[in-house]
Amino acid sequence: MRSDGLSTALMLTALLLASAGDLRGAEPTPQERAEHALMCYCGCADLTIRTCSCGTAARVKEDIARRLASGETVDQVVLAYVAQHGEQIRSAPTKEGFNLLAWVVPFGAILVAGGLIVALVRRWQARGALEQAAVAAAGAVSPPAGLSSADRKALDRIEREFRRDL
Amino acid sequence: MPDFGALCLLMALATSAWAVVASYNGWRIRSGELILSAERAVFITWGLVALAIVALEHLIFTDRFDLEYVASYSNRALPAMYKVAALWAGQSGSILFWLFILCSYAGLVVLLNRRRNRALMPVVVTTLSIVTAFFLILVNFIARPFVGLSHPPPDGMGMNPQLQNPFMAIHPPCLYLGYVGLTVPFAFAMAALATGQTSDTWFRTTRRFTIVSWFILGAGILLGGWWAYVELGWGGYWAWDPVENASFIPWLTATAFLHSVMIEERKKMLRVWNMSLVIMSFLLSILGTFITRSGVISSVHSFTRSDIGPMFAGFLGLCVVVSVGLLLHRLPLLKSEHRLDSFVSRESTFLFNNLLLVGAAFAVLWGTIFPIVSEAVRGVKITVGPPFFNEIFVPITFAILTLSAICPIIAWRRATPHKLLEKIQIPFWGMVATTAVMVAFGMRDVFAIVSFGLSAFVIVTTVMEFYWGTRARRRATGEPPIAAFWNLLDRNKRRYGGFVVHLGIILIVIGVTGSSAFKQEATAVLGRGEVFSIGRFGLRLEEIVSQDTPNHEFLGARLAVLDGGRQVGTLTPGQNFYKAGQDPSTEVDIRSTLREDLYLIMTGFDPQQGRATLKAYINPLVNWIWIGGAVLILGSWFAMIPDLRERRRTAEARLQDLQPHAV
Repeated sequence: MRSDGLSTALMLTALLLASAGDLRGAEPTPQERAEHALMCYCGCADLTIRTCSCGTAARVKEDIARRLASGETVDQVVLAYVAQHGEQIRSAPTKEGFNLLAWVVPFGAILVAGGLIVALVRRWQARGALEQAAVAAAGAVSPPAGLSSADRKALDRIEREFRRDL
Repeated sequence: MPDFGALCLLMALATSAWAVVASYNGWRIRSGELILSAERAVFITWGLVALAIVALEHLIFTDRFDLEYVASYSNRALPAMYKVAALWAGQSGSILFWLFILCSYAGLVVLLNRRRNRALMPVVVTTLSIVTAFFLILVNFIARPFVGLSHPPPDGMGMNPQLQNPFMAIHPPCLYLGYVGLTVPFAFAMAALATGQTSDTWFRTTRRFTIVSWFILGAGILLGGWWAYVELGWGGYWAWDPVENASFIPWLTATAFLHSVMIEERKKMLRVWNMSLVIMSFLLSILGTFITRSGVISSVHSFTRSDIGPMFAGFLGLCVVVSVGLLLHRLPLLKSEHRLDSFVSRESTFLFNNLLLVGAAFAVLWGTIFPIVSEAVRGVKITVGPPFFNEIFVPITFAILTLSAICPIIAWRRATPHKLLEKIQIPFWGMVATTAVMVAFGMRDVFAIVSFGLSAFVIVTTVMEFYWGTRARRRATGEPPIAAFWNLLDRNKRRYGGFVVHLGIILIVIGVTGSSAFKQEATAVLGRGEVFSIGRFGLRLEEIVSQDTPNHEFLGARLAVLDGGRQVGTLTPGQNFYKAGQDPSTEVDIRSTLREDLYLIMTGFDPQQGRATLKAYINPLVNWIWIGGAVLILGSWFAMIPDLRERRRTAEARLQDLQPHAV
């Protein structure tokens, strides 16, 4: 019953997120996309044209607006700035060629390490299962004959405490 | 006085070198006298470096512009608070300050351990003194703070205007305290490896140092964000620049260590991994200093031109070789009984939590150094800016948040799916309800919805942990609710302090999400009496104001803040024009509430037309970042309060070290 409730909740969340995705109205405008794609070269901080509030950024924003109004696409605007200032003006590496490494390596490393952890956990789990089986087999041996009921109780208590502290 | 300071540093180099030689040889030949002498040398080194600091501050306060450092970073009109802060405004001064903190930590370690950990202490002192000697070499021969000028100027150039901010006065000390504090667990780890005493002692002894370093580094990072927010005038607090990243990376690995060390304490597992994390955190703090001090990020070529870069690279290489070599040498001693009862267990979630934290650290490091890699491989300089880091970091953060919600409620050893589902129900429904409410109220940004939903998941889980614990205690002892709640916290400070830290982190996540997803901005050029609007606010220019101080002249625009046509306050953003001749600095003004910040900048002023150029931002929920930081500090402090059970465990670990062992 409870897992049914959880499944319902999962479906509900997925639906809500999907509907939110459909209704997402906060798509950045071409102007904002171009401003995000370029770094400010005023030298005051490592900021994009979008976030920098210096005079250089203001001039670039005006230029972007003018270029977009004249029919250029965001990619064309960015390429024009790259031609003028070099690759360094892009705010992030392109997702092609050598630069693709920048994007792939972090997630690749996490995935590979995650795979290793899964393999390790499985191995340790198998080891744990073997040891548990050995403990169970040892537990099946009957207690020494002639054990008084007080001794038996004490043994039980020690066993309980041992298991609790594991 | 300059000669006195320089002499102190030279003598400190000699005493720290003696500390290295005496403690190492004292350990090798088991000479108590040599070891004692080395420990005294640590105190003497501290005293000499402290005297050098006093000398430099005296020179700054007495306006001795015949000293290059004072002429470059101070001037006559500089307020007293910034004259103190001028110590860390320049490269050589900041390295001297770093050195002073390191010597203070070393002195404290020796003081606290004069009657305990005697087997480890000689190597601890050797390690700390080697790091001290390295920094002393820098301040004696490479980045010298006591260099004189043959033609002293009548006044100094003054401090960079952007550094003249109260947050900047406390942000670097916090960062340094955090960075340098990571040397202490590293020194104990090296001692454990060198002596073969690899039981729990080293990390139990340094646990408090690690937490202190971790939370001070975290506080330093947040203070840096606060400084950037109120001083740099771009409406944000984090730009993923190399200096920020350099402090964030070791903080992430230290966070991973604070989690995984719990597995070692409970299950005696992950001993090699924990040792590696401590080594990694220290090396990353040195790497961070190297990155930010050598100029290597701006260009690989500036590295070779910089005096300090090759020194740092060499020291870093030496540290890597020695620490990794020792770790490999002692691998047989660090073998632990890796055994897991179930894949669905807290141990597993801790492993994945470590994977994500170290993965996040690697992702930030990779992004930070990729420009160097690109320039070295392709000969093309590129920029790895905020869009890259945001895209890479957000999914990792979401995964970490999910684990933060599941980890506390999943049982150690083995959790049955049924039990886990039972415990996860309420937090999960909390997440669904939050998501539903946000969508119902018109929120459409998927990033924000997921982030707020996961934050609700973690908050409900954490609050339920407090509730379940209190309820169990009430049932067991019959205590009234408040007494049961307090005793629950008091008896397991680390656990519940940790949960408070989680809540602090979630508040920071909420603040970051709100202020990045729903930020609004507007720009306007206003004359007197004109109004422009942003969000629900109207801003009316009342007048242009100016104020003269001995240090600078302030020129600003006073604006009435209107909300629904009613004036709710005034804001006066402006610019400071420094008399020492530097570029003007932006002075933002902020109307701050828990709901949002109205952030105002005056980017320009046309005196002919009397019109001011203004930029306004609305940054929703940004205050929750700073509140989250305060909660994080509170939780860390609570987790550090001495615990009787912890003392007992440490004593047991020390007893274990007294047993015969292989060296």
